[in-house]
Amino acid sequence: MREFLTIDIDLCTGCRNCELACSVHHTSTFNPRRARIQVIRDEARNLVIPVVCLQCEHPLCMEACPTGALDYNEAGVLTVDEARCIGCGACVTACKYGGITLDPIERYAIKCDLCGGDPACVAACEYGAIQLVAADLDGLAIRDHNIARVATMLGIAQEEQQ
Amino acid sequence: MTFPYKGYAGKYLEVDLTKGKTIVKDMVKEWARLYLGGTGISSKILWERTGPETEPLSPENVLVVGTGPFTGVMFSPSGRMMFASKSPLTGIWAESHSGGFFGPEMKYAGFDLIVISGRSPRPVYLFLRDGEAELRDAQHLWGRETDVTTRMIREELRDPSIETAVIGPAGERQVLYGSVIIDFYRAAGRTGLGAVMGSKNLKGIAASGSLPLEAYDMEKYLEANRQEMEKLRDPLWAESLGSLRKYGTTDLVAIINEIGRLPTKNHWTGFYEHADDIGPEIIAERYRIAQEACHGCSIGCKYIYRVRDGRFASAPAGGPEYETLMAFGSNCLNNNIESIMYLGKRCDQLGMDTISCGKSIGFAMELWEKGILDASMTGGLELTWGNIDTMVELVEQIAKREGLGEVLSLGTRRAAEKFGGDAWRYAIHVKGLEASGQDPRAHQSVGLTYATNVRGADHLRSLSSLEELGYPEIVIERFGKEKADKILDIMSPDYKGELIWDMENLYALVDSAVICKYGTMWPPVYYYETFANVLPHLTGMTEWGDVAYVRQASRRIAHLRRAYNHRLGITRKDETLPHRLLKEAMPTGPAKGGLPDLDQMLDEYYDFRGCDKKTGFPKRERLMELGLDYVAEDLEARGMIAK
Ligand code: SF4
Ligand code: SF4
Repeated sequence: MREFLTIDIDLCTGCRNCELACSVHHTSTFNPRRARIQVIRDEARNLVIPVVCLQCEHPLCMEACPTGALDYNEAGVLTVDEARCIGCGACVTACKYGGITLDPIERYAIKCDLCGGDPACVAACEYGAIQLVAADLDGLAIRDHNIARVATMLGIAQEEQQ
Repeated sequence: MTFPYKGYAGKYLEVDLTKGKTIVKDMVKEWARLYLGGTGISSKILWERTGPETEPLSPENVLVVGTGPFTGVMFSPSGRMMFASKSPLTGIWAESHSGGFFGPEMKYAGFDLIVISGRSPRPVYLFLRDGEAELRDAQHLWGRETDVTTRMIREELRDPSIETAVIGPAGERQVLYGSVIIDFYRAAGRTGLGAVMGSKNLKGIAASGSLPLEAYDMEKYLEANRQEMEKLRDPLWAESLGSLRKYGTTDLVAIINEIGRLPTKNHWTGFYEHADDIGPEIIAERYRIAQEACHGCSIGCKYIYRVRDGRFASAPAGGPEYETLMAFGSNCLNNNIESIMYLGKRCDQLGMDTISCGKSIGFAMELWEKGILDASMTGGLELTWGNIDTMVELVEQIAKREGLGEVLSLGTRRAAEKFGGDAWRYAIHVKGLEASGQDPRAHQSVGLTYATNVRGADHLRSLSSLEELGYPEIVIERFGKEKADKILDIMSPDYKGELIWDMENLYALVDSAVICKYGTMWPPVYYYETFANVLPHLTGMTEWGDVAYVRQASRRIAHLRRAYNHRLGITRKDETLPHRLLKEAMPTGPAKGGLPDLDQMLDEYYDFRGCDKKTGFPKRERLMELGLDYVAEDLEARGMIAK
């Protein structure tokens, strides 16, 4: 069964521990910029929004990749084949959700691979904001709810800007 | 040889603002081995590079911006950083710490420390990115408030992930308690380090980094880290942590008022009958809109508030902490919470310490009450207690150093000298630093903490929560069964010398590591063993695995900071309390009648510290056994060593 991460921004405190845990898991160093989950913070508008790959059913990133570097691994999770990635960033542009980015050091694309089924960020979030859910109706409902919250938050923030 | 230890970024930056030069240097091995980081290394650097002849606001003064090995490596609660210098407010040792995101970012940008000296001919800010440093023009930022400054820096460098440490108009104009604001609403507030930056024409520091930090043995480090976190997760602390998450430090308004220790009416008493109006429930119910945490922190004590309408309506902002609620609230007999939020926010924007600012205003209000100040001296302002209009006006005047604000911008000690007469009686400070939100008449050991604190009347260098909140098992474990009852008695001076000596040592390490007081002060979970457990795996410095070595290092740092102050003339006669807190018995509230027995506690403290009881000077052997030979030599030559 397909799975994905979903984040409840009402529980998120913006501590960025998820970024740290992700970078340790994938790079064995502490380096939030190389994390596949990114916490976007805009204090002036009171916005703290963690962004991570949605594990789309029809991934825009995969479609955009000119070299076929994005493919499903044994566990059925879309991952980047670093050897084939040329770092062109087409996937980054294609993904509307900020789910994929270029590694600032290696220059190849990086995205969430769900850590083989036991995501480091979920364990690292002391506030229980990140959940790994199955892509069934329940999981999708949770995700819909969480995305709607982000949308309203952004909406409120924008309204206040005007 | 390059710097061998992990956990650190491995480089530090030397900045000479006069010449406009930045030099990247390798971190010094001995600094890490002997002084760990943050406070420890700063005390070594400042000892060497500043002294009695250094004018705090001159180019000769040195400002150290520090992090520690724990910064940015997922130890909770870390995410902090610190500044140290010679204080323009007190003239002695200055350090101030802040949470937020700047400290870790500075390390990811490649630097453990920044050592800043000189004075730039024109306003500049320092930008750090991936191992490189650049001094950039700040003419267009000069005069801007801190939040605007940060936004402008992010925009001009086109990098929204930049974190900043900046000063506001108050620091630029050298208000003696000008602060440094970190990421909008966190502050290195105390001792006037913002004024030091202002005197150097340094508007701020910005950092953005994608460099990695490593652990010496990642698996073992993560395991040690997990073990320490487990201690914090113990159900015993669930309630404390739950309260911190729900209320943050605002909960202290209730807890402290209950024991009669909440500074009220310029420290006249420790009980405020309208305490409920200024926290914590009212904040949680009406104003709080979100919880926040510093970098990598599992406690999350910060909150965001919003005042929807009325005179003090405000967009979302970081909420006032306990100290601000006290300083502009009970301390000035002001129970209008929205005004306190506003005043706190203005202080953040203008870049001023809320404690010293609120205390300076409370002091002036008392002078008004006593007839020492009248309308002819205040430009017509009425300084009646709780007068919100006056408070709002005074905060602006202080930041501009105009009108009555000019003299209040000097802090209470100097303002009292200017006013003359009996004014000194109402200046509630130690060594020139306005008292924070405690009162020794309701809690004996606070008196010793205030008197001995190297930066003045403030709780953060050695406050003990053990007797305040009552943790008998921990007291027995640390000090033995025989002493436990007396230690746990908040109004007994017995064994408080040992208690505060131990706390001061422990916090010296906490401030060098650099981690948060939550986790050590409250709940009192991390102790010397924590450092011994974690540091070797993180850094590769095996000697830190020995608890005896850890304890010795903590005493080394504590002694070095004290010696720094001795050299500037500080002796036992300065390690005292303001008249009101020492001699006027608590007039009302649960602690009514209370007075601290300072002399008894001081004698015991000096014994433990290895100091002469008459002068407070350290004994030569004590310094030698800590490897502080160079300090012993220097003090000896000045006649500042105990025989
Ligand atoms: S660890 Fe959790 S609370 Fe912290 S930033 Fe990530 S999602 Fe938010
Ligand atoms: S990276 Fe973006 S487009 Fe690709 S699967 Fe994730 S969310 Fe979808």
